Amino acid sequence: MKKIFHIGALTLMMTGIALSACMDDHDAPDVSNYSITKETSVGDTTISIRNLKEKYESVFTQNNAFTMIEDDEIVEGVVVANDKGGNLYQTLMLAQYDATYDVVDPARGIVLAVKSTCLYPYFAYGQMVRVNLKGLYVGCYSKLPKIGQPYYTSSNNLRLGPMLFELCKTNIYLVGKPSDYINKIKPFEIKDDSHEMFHQTSYQNYKNAPMLVTVTGKFVLGDDETILAPDELKDAGMGVDRDFKIGNTTITVRTSTQNDVSFLKMPKGTVRLTGMLSFYDGWQLQLRSVDDMEIIKE
Amino acid sequence: MSKCLKLVAMLLCITGSVTAQEEVDTLLSDSYDFTFTESQLDDDNDAAQTVSTISSSNNDPYLGEVGYRFSPMRFKVRAYDNMYEQTYMNGLLLNDVETGRFQYSMIGGMNDATRSKEDVSGFEYNNFGLTPIGGGSNINTRASAFATGQKVTLSGTNRNYVLRGMYTYATGLTESGWAFAGTIGYRWAKEGVIKGTFYNSFSYLLSLEKRLGDNHSLSLVTFGSPTERAQQGASTEEAYWLANSHYYNPYWGYQNGKKRNSRVVHDFEPTAILTWDWKIDESKKLVTSAGAKYSMYSTSALGWNGDAYDPRPDYYKNLPSSIFDVYDLANRNNPEFLQDNPYFLSQYNDLYDFWTASEANRQINWDRMYYVNSVQNQNGDETLYYQERRHNNQLVFAFNSTFSHNIDINNKYTLGINLNHTTGMHYKTMDDLLGGNLYYDYDKFSANEYGKGSVANPTEAANDLRNPYKRINEGDKFGYDYNINVNKAKVWGVMQHTNGAFDIMPGFYLEGTTIERDGKMQNGRAPQNSYGSSGTAKFFGGGGKVLMNLRPFVGNTISLGLGWDTNAPLARNAFVAPRMQNNFVDNLQNEDIFSAELNWKFRFGNLTGKFTGFFTRFLNQVEQTAFYNDQENRFTYLTMTGISKEHQGVEGALVYQVNSKLSFNLIGTISDAKYIDNPYAQVNYEGMNSQTNEALNTWTNSVTGANMPLRVIMKDIKVGSTPLTAASLGVNYNVNNWFLELNLNYYDRVYVGYSAYRRLSNVLKNYTATGSVGGTPVFNIADETGRSSEQILAEDGGVLFDINGDYVDAYSPSLEKYKGGFMLDASIGKFIRLRNGRAISINLSFQNITNNTNLRTGGFEQNRDDLYSTGVARAYKFSKNSKYYYANAFNAFLNVNYRF
Repeated sequence: MKKIFHIGALTLMMTGIALSACMDDHDAPDVSNYSITKETSVGDTTISIRNLKEKYESVFTQNNAFTMIEDDEIVEGVVVANDKGGNLYQTLMLAQYDATYDVVDPARGIVLAVKSTCLYPYFAYGQMVRVNLKGLYVGCYSKLPKIGQPYYTSSNNLRLGPMLFELCKTNIYLVGKPSDYINKIKPFEIKDDSHEMFHQTSYQNYKNAPMLVTVTGKFVLGDDETILAPDELKDAGMGVDRDFKIGNTTITVRTSTQNDVSFLKMPKGTVRLTGMLSFYDGWQLQLRSVDDMEIIKE
Repeated sequence: MSKCLKLVAMLLCITGSVTAQEEVDTLLSDSYDFTFTESQLDDDNDAAQTVSTISSSNNDPYLGEVGYRFSPMRFKVRAYDNMYEQTYMNGLLLNDVETGRFQYSMIGGMNDATRSKEDVSGFEYNNFGLTPIGGGSNINTRASAFATGQKVTLSGTNRNYVLRGMYTYATGLTESGWAFAGTIGYRWAKEGVIKGTFYNSFSYLLSLEKRLGDNHSLSLVTFGSPTERAQQGASTEEAYWLANSHYYNPYWGYQNGKKRNSRVVHDFEPTAILTWDWKIDESKKLVTSAGAKYSMYSTSALGWNGDAYDPRPDYYKNLPSSIFDVYDLANRNNPEFLQDNPYFLSQYNDLYDFWTASEANRQINWDRMYYVNSVQNQNGDETLYYQERRHNNQLVFAFNSTFSHNIDINNKYTLGINLNHTTGMHYKTMDDLLGGNLYYDYDKFSANEYGKGSVANPTEAANDLRNPYKRINEGDKFGYDYNINVNKAKVWGVMQHTNGAFDIMPGFYLEGTTIERDGKMQNGRAPQNSYGSSGTAKFFGGGGKVLMNLRPFVGNTISLGLGWDTNAPLARNAFVAPRMQNNFVDNLQNEDIFSAELNWKFRFGNLTGKFTGFFTRFLNQVEQTAFYNDQENRFTYLTMTGISKEHQGVEGALVYQVNSKLSFNLIGTISDAKYIDNPYAQVNYEGMNSQTNEALNTWTNSVTGANMPLRVIMKDIKVGSTPLTAASLGVNYNVNNWFLELNLNYYDRVYVGYSAYRRLSNVLKNYTATGSVGGTPVFNIADETGRSSEQILAEDGGVLFDINGDYVDAYSPSLEKYKGGFMLDASIGKFIRLRNGRAISINLSFQNITNNTNLRTGGFEQNRDDLYSTGVARAYKFSKNSKYYYANAFNAFLNVNYRF
């Protein structure tokens, strides 16, 4: 009898030993096919970005208006700006791909706003994105054409804000790979202020915004301007506006504080800036990353 | 970890080959195996859930029962923190000097070995220590104290673990003067009663004793309980509703189809105690114990880069109520508004559908984190998500010696000395890069404020200027690394004098404490005061107590206890931001406690009982909370100094013994425990630049513009996460070695744990009088809800100033009180005595038989307010979304012992 119990006790111990192996070991998952977007197509494209803006011109011509898309309306565009640099928040700029010329048209853009930070791993630069707009809203946020959903801002204003991240799974499909389009993106180059966009009001509207541009000029420097967006200068929108001269024309370079772009030193000489250009009561440029500032002359 | 477990188990294999001798225990002592206190042994060092009281008193019918009956509700006796009760083993004090608390988990799974103990209440005389207001226990694990023989215990339950096995062997004292006892145990659950949790715990205790002559004895005991277990997290009522369960656990998610928990505790505190018992003569005794402990405690947690989306599944932006203010029935949540603005309800429903469509949707999305990191790898960028492991290790050397002298039948005294040196080692390591390749050691939030690398102020984001921006691999230390050194020395004495119907037991102590931080990293935000020694803070304290008993007639005792303590603050509260810098908290000083209690203990025929009234005032206390601050998006320390609290109430117990088989009992308490003042506050936001940090520590008078000391408006706020009202009606019946017990327990007045952050004087609204009438300031306090000014102040709080900017009054936001409720528990047991001294005992206990799943045991307010920095109300109401824990649903515990 004693032997039986000794064996039992020993068994208990050995069972304990056997079960004592770590229970928190996990193999890394295979995420090669992981996607936050719809895994099958949302359908064929039914409308271009340009035509979308024309079709819903009545909302795009207002400062802050939006309308819900009730039917399957499928638009596609290439990601030419995302939040990788930290300066764009919940924002992807899509630009229309022109198959005729096999280029991404930097002047035919729209913002796709998604409620999440760090969108860039899912929506890489150069990625073609197809969006079924059904159930989503199109309109303007301070004249900036946008796809998203309404929300109340921190100033208690009803605006067109980002779409729910969860809706990516039903409304968005990724077409191909970023490498398919990345070399077809050429920002619109503005070397001086002779372009009509600075002089003709007919250019200064939703049709040409947002636009991926490269501009050449100089910052208007004050006495204490050391970096692009010091925290102490931020406004209610958590950003800092800097005047930037292109010839005799001044545009605004708007930068959010507390990101890598904001810490760029204010250059004294001529620079080339690349970014997302939009128009409200003047042209406003937002850099995408620190690489978007190129010093031409110290 | 598993290697350690196996090694220890192998060492213990020797115990199985020794022969049984005799059986001496009874079922009554076996009851410790299946008391509800087992749940307390799983409590965390960092106390995710409130830690309930385990101590009791052998001589008190109330304190002797509450730990057993009320632990499912995390009941704390008199709402005292556990630091006010002490646990000794063989005379050596085992409380952690950094936190003040005894870690119950260090003796988990050793029920058989730790059942022999002496429990005393705060004022009772004893020979092992001058116990604080919460009382104390002295566990006797000397080998000769074990019941001789062998014992196997098997248990099954549906609690944190599902299976438990224990084996105990004791030789008793042999003729050669040696005694050996040992126990091993194992507790296991692939998945506990809470989804996503597991349990894997081995435990051992070895005790060796040698009697040297008639007067000396040496005892060596070593024990430990290497444990790996996954945790449960609290969540909001909305998340529980969406998950359709009050036991929703946001800490886990699926990975490769298997559940993976983000919060896994590793806990192992091997301890050795050498005790010398010297019986000097029949009346004098010297007990000296020296011990060492190396504690290894760590818990994992998700980490993410500053800009990455918060991976917690119940992050408020993921919840439907983040879409619009569902609590604003007048302006938002009404048919008219929602019809005019259909997009809000649509988004709300989309999130509702997402949460309810599948379980995976409401749990951690591990695949998403791995995917993001894989993209970062492809781009040569840093890992965005990772799992870190936060270590709180300790090396402790302790020494206690007590001399007891029974002078005569009426007089006795005990003198003692306690010494303790503790080095607490606090750091974190990279547990899992979640498929990522690159991670550099700098503060990601600071990088957003100071810039990193090539841009302005590159050094300030560095966590260690001696290894700035060091590449971190799995297993490497990063973030913070510091030691806390604490030395304590205490001398104490207590005596008892009896004179007929009167006893008096005065006691005193003197205590010295030193506290030092020794930084192992030179933090870029505190380059001058983070590396090396902080200097040593020294505190000299002491106190005394006296208990007077009067026995006016037979069976009745009236007792009055009075005590005063002045003690050093806890080391864990002593530094402003210990992860980052050496600075001590401002105005750090001794904490004072005045305590008094009046007891009446009686026996009238078959009725026995005890009633107690108590009053305790805490003064100059220091409390620190450390939390991830959603408002400022960074880890935050908030230290309150100059805290005053009062705990008062009555407690009682009645036992009616109908006959030798049947008895009824009633125990209960009604108490109050609250803050009585508005303490000073000091806040440190980790990684924030010093100017912003200073600004957030500033409270500016809106009239005069003067800066005022920052305060936490806490007056009348209750101590939370324990029932302030509790009662239990029980019946016990035993016949022919069958034991039946039925208890109906009632709990009420449990308050949520307060957020000090939401009560900061510069976070609350400050109101200035619009005028005065007869010298009384007049205020115009209104908002869009239509509430009266009294309602607004009572619910939302606020600070009032007159037109000259002079302080008038302050109101703390109301603290949520949970609904009370009942819980029915029962147990049935059978003791079977076999031949040759063998015995089997079987017990089946049921807890929460009516399956009341709505009893909240605790929880906490979120550390964020309801307004944007613009002053506009957010859609999501943090003030309405505290996080809660619920008492376990119906559960059972089957325990079978075989003693041979």
